[in-house]
Amino acid sequence: MIGIGTEGIGGAAPEYKPGSEADFERLYRSSYNRVLGTLIGILGERAAAEDCVQDAFVRAYRSWSSWRGDAPAEAWLHRIAINTAISHQRYERMREAGQVLRRLGRPAPPPDPATLVERSDLFRALSKLPPKQAAAIVLRHHHGYTNREIAAALDIPERTVASRLAGAKERLRKVLSYERSADSQISVGTLSEDGVPSD
Amino acid sequence: MSEFDSEIERELNRILGPVDTQTIPVWRTPASGGFMKRILGGTGAAVAAKLLTGFAVVAFAAAGAGGAMEASLSGSLNPADWGQQVTQQVATCKAALTAGQHGIGQCVSAFAKQHGDLVSDSHQASNARDNHSNNGSNGKGKGKGNGSDNSQAGDRIHGRPTTVPPSTHS
Repeated sequence: MIGIGTEGIGGAAPEYKPGSEADFERLYRSSYNRVLGTLIGILGERAAAEDCVQDAFVRAYRSWSSWRGDAPAEAWLHRIAINTAISHQRYERMREAGQVLRRLGRPAPPPDPATLVERSDLFRALSKLPPKQAAAIVLRHHHGYTNREIAAALDIPERTVASRLAGAKERLRKVLSYERSADSQISVGTLSEDGVPSD
Repeated sequence: MSEFDSEIERELNRILGPVDTQTIPVWRTPASGGFMKRILGGTGAAVAAKLLTGFAVVAFAAAGAGGAMEASLSGSLNPADWGQQVTQQVATCKAALTAGQHGIGQCVSAFAKQHGDLVSDSHQASNARDNHSNNGSNGKGKGKGNGSDNSQAGDRIHGRPTTVPPSTHS
C-alpha cells in the first residue's frame, strides 16, 4: 500500500493558491501518478487511463482559478478525473457496441498486447464494477485514503463510501470466485445491480 | 484486515506499484483557448473586424472633417490662427462698448458670420475660377461683350459679396 504522506488528499495538504500556474504545476507533479493509478483501476487499460488523466488535468487547469479550496486540491482533482473516466467509459461502450454491430459475422480482431498488461483477474473484475465503486477500491486499498478523504474526492457522504466499499468487495469476491471456478475460460459478463454476473 | 483485503492490495500494488514511481510527463500549459480564441475566432472575429473597421472609418472622417473645418474658417490648419482672430475681436468688441451697454455677443457673432461668409465665398470663387478657365479654353470669342458676367466672376474670385445670395451660385 502506498501512503498518502503529507501531500495526500486530505490532512496536512499543501497550500495551493487558486489560479497560480506554479501551484498547479506542483499539484500536477504531486498527484499525477496517484490519479493515473486510480484511473487504471477504473478503466482497466493504461493507455486509456493516461489519455483521461491528461484530459482531466486540462479540465482542472481551465477551472483552476475557480477552485475554492473547500475540498483538498487532490480530492478535487480526483473528482474531475473520475468523472472524465466515467465519460470515457460511456463513450467507449457506445463505440464498442457500434463496432460489434458493424462486424457481425466477421472474426473479432486479436486483442492489443499493450492492453493486456493490466488484464489481471482483479483489474478485469474492477473494470466491470460501476466506476465510482472501482475508484473507491483503488483509493482505499492502494492509495490508502481514509473514508473521509474518499468522500471528499467523490463528493459523497462518508457512510456512502463505507457501503460502496462493502458492495464493491462483495461483487469482486463473487466475480473472482466465479472466474476461478470457471477456470478463467469463460469471460466475465457485465454485473447486474445485485452483483450477479450476467452475459 | 481480511485475507481478501490483503489479496486486493497485493494485486493492486503489483500492477499499480510501478505506476507510482514512473516518470511524470512534463506539464504543458494548454494553449489559451479562452478569451483570445473568442476574439480571434468565429463570430467574434467577424464582429471584431467590423468594429475595428467602423472605428477606423469614423476616426479618419473625424480627422478629415476637423482639418477641413479648421482650414476653411481660419485659412490655416493651425487652430491658433482662428483663435487669435476671435480673441482680438472680443477685445475690440469690449473696447467698443459704451457705458451702460452690456454684452458683446452680437458683435462677436457678426464677426464670426462675416468670416464664415468670406470663407464660403472664397470656396465658391475657387469653383467659379475653375469653371471660368475651362470656358476660356473652349472658345475665345464667347465671353466678349458680356461685361456683367465677367465682373461677377471677378467679384467671386476676390470673395466679395455679390447681389446674388451665395447659396444660389452653386
